[in-house]
Amino acid sequence: MNEENLMFATEDILTASAEQAEEPLDVKKYLIFLTDGLKMGVDAEQVVEINNDAVITYLPMLPHYIKGIVNLRGAMVPILDIRLRLGKPSQEDDFLIIVLNLDGTQIGILVDSVDQMVDIPRNSILPMPAHANQQLVSGMCSMPETGGTVLILDCAQLLAHE
Amino acid sequence: MGSGNDILDAYIYETNSLLEQLETILLESEKTNDFSQENINEIFRTMHTIKGSSAMMEFDTLATVAHRIEDMFFLIRENSLDVVPQSERSTLFDLLFQSIDYFRGEVEKIQANEPLDKDIDSFLENINRLIGKIKGEQEENTSSAPAAGASPAAPPAEAPAAEASALSASEGDKDFPYSLQVFFDEGCGMENLRSFMLVAAIRDFCSEADFAFLPADVETNPETAEAVVEHGFLLKFKTAAQRDQAIPSVASAGSVQSYQAHDYTPPAPKTAEKEGPAPATHAESAAPAAQPAASAGGGQHPAKESLISVNLSKLDQLAAVVGEIVITESMVTASPDLKGLHLDSFTKSARQLRKLTDELQDVSMSLRMVPVSASFQKMNRIVRDMCKKLNKRARLTLIGENTEVDKTIVDSIGDPLMHIIRNSMDHGIEETEAARIAAGKDPEGEIILSARDTGSEVIIEIQDDGQGVNYDAVLKKAIKNGIASPDVEYSHKEILNFLMMPGFSTNTEVTQFSGRGVGMDVVKQNIEGVGGTVSISSVPGQGMTTTLKIPLTMSIMDGMEVAVGDSIFTIPINNIRQSYKVSSDSIIHDSTNGEMFKCLDNFYPIIRARDLYQLEKGFTDIGDGILMWLESGECSYCLFVDELIGEQQVVVKQLPGYLNNYNIKNYGINGCTLLGDGSISIILDVANLYAAAHGV
Repeated sequence: MNEENLMFATEDILTASAEQAEEPLDVKKYLIFLTDGLKMGVDAEQVVEINNDAVITYLPMLPHYIKGIVNLRGAMVPILDIRLRLGKPSQEDDFLIIVLNLDGTQIGILVDSVDQMVDIPRNSILPMPAHANQQLVSGMCSMPETGGTVLILDCAQLLAHE
Repeated sequence: MGSGNDILDAYIYETNSLLEQLETILLESEKTNDFSQENINEIFRTMHTIKGSSAMMEFDTLATVAHRIEDMFFLIRENSLDVVPQSERSTLFDLLFQSIDYFRGEVEKIQANEPLDKDIDSFLENINRLIGKIKGEQEENTSSAPAAGASPAAPPAEAPAAEASALSASEGDKDFPYSLQVFFDEGCGMENLRSFMLVAAIRDFCSEADFAFLPADVETNPETAEAVVEHGFLLKFKTAAQRDQAIPSVASAGSVQSYQAHDYTPPAPKTAEKEGPAPATHAESAAPAAQPAASAGGGQHPAKESLISVNLSKLDQLAAVVGEIVITESMVTASPDLKGLHLDSFTKSARQLRKLTDELQDVSMSLRMVPVSASFQKMNRIVRDMCKKLNKRARLTLIGENTEVDKTIVDSIGDPLMHIIRNSMDHGIEETEAARIAAGKDPEGEIILSARDTGSEVIIEIQDDGQGVNYDAVLKKAIKNGIASPDVEYSHKEILNFLMMPGFSTNTEVTQFSGRGVGMDVVKQNIEGVGGTVSISSVPGQGMTTTLKIPLTMSIMDGMEVAVGDSIFTIPINNIRQSYKVSSDSIIHDSTNGEMFKCLDNFYPIIRARDLYQLEKGFTDIGDGILMWLESGECSYCLFVDELIGEQQVVVKQLPGYLNNYNIKNYGINGCTLLGDGSISIILDVANLYAAAHGV
């Protein structure tokens, strides 16, 4: 139990314990966001910013889950609605845009809300069950404190197109 | 460019530009089958530089080859081209062209980080053999050696004479002893008018009787421009004080590169005359004496180096910043906070700012503009090589090679031009001269490569006077390759379009140059990549013309903002013919439920932007909105939109690369731009929009 706690410790406990531990834990920061009741995590290093006041300009002739583009300080960033991408009904009001930088490609994802930042040890992320036909998810991980399960967003799939 | 490899970059850049120069000289010289003394010196210098820099970079094989060629030209330089027997001249030219190719190939390998070719023995042997022949020839000529020895001294002897005449022009006037010799910036143009402006400026404070100028007819005779370039513009004054007064106005005049004051001193011409005969009697001593004189003369044309090379990415950055400034400027001046206020001095300053930003934009754009001549000159070589290989005779005529276009465009037209010219040489120009004579044409074929600038786009035409396109053969081939259907009747225009489809080649045999079946569709792709169009026209028996239309620059343009529902679109002003407010009665329906509009005795199809883009909102009744008559190249139609918002200068931004996966460019969505209030407008491509509407 003690070890378990350590793995999911908040930042300050972790730094303290990392000094004691012989080899530092292989952890990564994740930003947890909510979409249609699901908790999903995205690698915090890829997050550029979280934005809630951008005006999305609709672009015609695109798949329905691409809501359009926004002007991010002069750069044009396409916006994907995660709900629509996962085949769920979109939520019209109250949304947030998380702008991601995926290997130089800037892309924004539309989510319901942002939860928190968490350190997740790499080895606690489990692969998806082989036959689970999940989209956009590369792995999952259960959170001991809150008890929930976080799905890790598969960014490569986000960029791929049909 | 890797910043860690600046020296290598510089080496590659320098060597490539040297090779380009060298090729131009060779092509020029080959026409006359002779080298001028100047060209020999130039080749010698070029090889010397390549040798030196290659050795420094430790590319030993390159240095060795350059060294041998330098040796060869040392012999030629010392003994004039006569040492090369007429029979060996073509070998010499071929060898030099080969060596250029060799250097180019190796430089490319260096760039790609590949190992260099170690085996240069056979190549060196060729050079050595030629050197041997030259030397052999030279020995036969030993009896005439003294004469040959005298000849190198001759050119310098002429130099002081020319110098003396230039100087005497500046000195020999007793009435106006104090003169001022003005030189203008190289290539600034209109030197005669610039000179006249100086005269006009001096008249302000100096009566006409007190000064004179040479050439005297600068105002009326445009040919004096050349004389001014060569000898400078000479202003002569009666008193030194007047001259001193004139100096500030000369110095502040535009494009003046340098000026020199000369005082008339009577004994001076005598010494000049004395020097004249001296070289004839005593050539040896005159040569060193001529040297300083020449270098002093050179001082009047101070180093040409008014050019710097700049990394293209810096220019891109500049263009981007300028684009942002243009947007910000309109954001400030059109700020909603200012609405309803009466701000006279603000409006005045804003107008001034607008003027300056326009100027800034022009300047930053002009920095990226380069003449197409470099790309055009390369084609000379292609024509030459193909003439030799195919045993045809053809010449290349270049027109408008000084036309300037954006650097990225120059880079992207090189390959297309090469393909088109190869095609013209291979398929266009008749197989034999007899066939040309039989058709009543000049036995020597002609390919005309021309460029002109229409203000918004550059038009490049490649025209040959060959046999033209054989429509039947093309159609047969298209059917065989499965591009065309045998049951359909095609117009000549459609048949020409088959030429640009992937996997098409009219030649039954694959030749070394063209006919691999990738030619014209690669051309089309490259040109479309920079936003241009390709069209082919042909007259059987008289040749064919390929026309490339390319936008001058792609970053800033004038656009008309229109609204459809909640979306705002930008239509390039160049494509807009007219706009109409019409009622739905004047719309004509055709059999396939399409709509047409009649204007100026022509019917034009109507495309509804709302339907095309499946927008949720927007007017459906023609009477509510506006019809825009748009035209681009071949297609002409009316676009139905809700309302016109206004004209605006916009900065074109590419759409995010991610969206290119969805081919929205094919639906006429070309890019986007930011409006003054920070919102995004979608830039439409008039031609693609038409294609999309009629493909669906």
